[in-house]
Amino acid sequence: MPERTIAVDYLARVEGEGALRVRIRNRRVDQVELKIFEPPRFFEAFLRGRSYLEAPDITARICGICPVAYQMSACHAMERALGMTVEGPLRDLRRLLYCGEWIESHALHIYLLHAPDFLGYPDAVRLAKDHPEAVKRGLELKKAGNHLMQVLGGREIHPVNVRVGGFYRTPSRAELLALRPGLERALTLAEETVRFASGLTFPEVEEEYEFVSLRSEHEYPMNEGEVVSNRGLRVPASRYEEAFEEVQAAHSNALQSIRRGGGSYLVGPLARYALNHDRLGPRARSAANEAGLSETVRNPYRSIVVRAVEVVFACEEALRIIDGYQPPERPYVEPPVSFHATAGAAITEAPRGMLYHWYRLSSDGLIEEAKIVAPTSQNQKRIEDDLRHLVERSLDQDDSTLTDFCERAIRNHDPCISCATHFLSLDLERT
Amino acid sequence: MSGPTSPGAARRTPLVIGLGNENRGDDGCGLAVVRALRERLGEDERLVEGPEDVTELLALWAGSERVIVVDAVRSGHAPGTVHRLDLAHQELPGPWRATSTHGLTFADALALARTLGRIPASLTFYGIEAGSVGMQRGLSGPVAGAVAAVTEAVLAEIGRAPAARAANRR
Repeated sequence: MPERTIAVDYLARVEGEGALRVRIRNRRVDQVELKIFEPPRFFEAFLRGRSYLEAPDITARICGICPVAYQMSACHAMERALGMTVEGPLRDLRRLLYCGEWIESHALHIYLLHAPDFLGYPDAVRLAKDHPEAVKRGLELKKAGNHLMQVLGGREIHPVNVRVGGFYRTPSRAELLALRPGLERALTLAEETVRFASGLTFPEVEEEYEFVSLRSEHEYPMNEGEVVSNRGLRVPASRYEEAFEEVQAAHSNALQSIRRGGGSYLVGPLARYALNHDRLGPRARSAANEAGLSETVRNPYRSIVVRAVEVVFACEEALRIIDGYQPPERPYVEPPVSFHATAGAAITEAPRGMLYHWYRLSSDGLIEEAKIVAPTSQNQKRIEDDLRHLVERSLDQDDSTLTDFCERAIRNHDPCISCATHFLSLDLERT
Repeated sequence: MSGPTSPGAARRTPLVIGLGNENRGDDGCGLAVVRALRERLGEDERLVEGPEDVTELLALWAGSERVIVVDAVRSGHAPGTVHRLDLAHQELPGPWRATSTHGLTFADALALARTLGRIPASLTFYGIEAGSVGMQRGLSGPVAGAVAAVTEAVLAEIGRAPAARAANRR
């Protein structure tokens, strides 16, 4: 069979820049390379020499969709380095802010990026022509998340109100109570979203994932917890690098994360849900039951349902936090005036999965070294494994169909290929 | 009667939105225009940077009758070339791709707004041809020049160009 190469302009509807190359030889999948352009590398260099106080705002710019995640991981890492503890209402407000980002990011992915795949549309615009009510629901839900981020973050999309130790300004009780009606409405929309998503038709596929996420004593994980997996891993965030390593992929300047001495693993909604479903709130749990979700979902296409369940949870959790909120005496915990050279690491749960930050600081508070491991680079190898299995199952499909299948398989994991120009290319080579 | 302080007047004050990513070189030009406008006019909630999630535009411009959007584009013209389009009555040209460092492009958001009937009555688009959109900060020379020109054009458009300067041009 003559060699054939198919190039697709860009891989639609995943964020950022990247490319996929699949090589099939003698009806065997010889190579799968997912290339990801990685802004964190640029930011790691950019952070050097800057004050530790600047890290949350600088890293918030890494991703337009999940700035809160970057801020939260940066703040927690700095606070660990400096021995600070942020508790009570400040801790709750951070969680509330994170709820806003989960709602916003998941609603965007569910309705505008992922749903068209299941309903046979090439994009959200075509979906909106036939199903305007669904897209409007998605936009309204997204807006509720954005509004939460705006009130707490000071400016939507790139919240600027967060700082190491807490916030520059904290909201009054009245300001938060004013959010209640919007969130009640969002909770209803989120429950409709679970019904919408669970009514879609899914390819019958199951993958053997090593799921990795945070897990904490009392709550569904966002800002804290130990790193656990369904294969027995359990380490504190500070020892993340003992359990995982980044290896240079031959085909890419990106680093791929693997388990030390092991292989690929999966972070994100499927992992969080599998490892923490017992920590969901009552509304989210009953939405999951109604949707017929088992306690562990190994079908990556069903991640759209799990995301919807997480939106229900984020709405009910936001309402719970607002109801119990009493403004703190001070908007932030004062960092120590002087300290020795130090280092600190933290992991928080971005909508797409665990986001690791590590910083080394000089005694005058300047960042000497930074390390950021984004959820997508942790999932990259696992996405390649999904693609390999998919192509092996689908060798008889023509190139165009196979290309479409691959794009869908990548979108299952909501990769933030990231804040880069979105000219992606897909090469399918058969010999 | 609607006076200058009525809600109706506020709705008619043009909303100026700059799009882009300042960490991707010339892609930051839309943001640069908004910042330049702020320097001239002071802080104003009608001068907006972002959002990077462009689908948020539909909510952002809801209720505004006049909207001006500035973004980087790549259509094969020389870097710094400025295009002005009336998007309330005109489509974004087919081969155009507003350079986006975010998920969906401005073109996608526009198409979505059109489909859902959420286009403002007046929507003016300034597209600045980007040169480099690599991972770097700062604008290239031609694009910085275009930012200055578009800033003046927008000031004139929203009726805020200083009278003396406008007169001197003649």
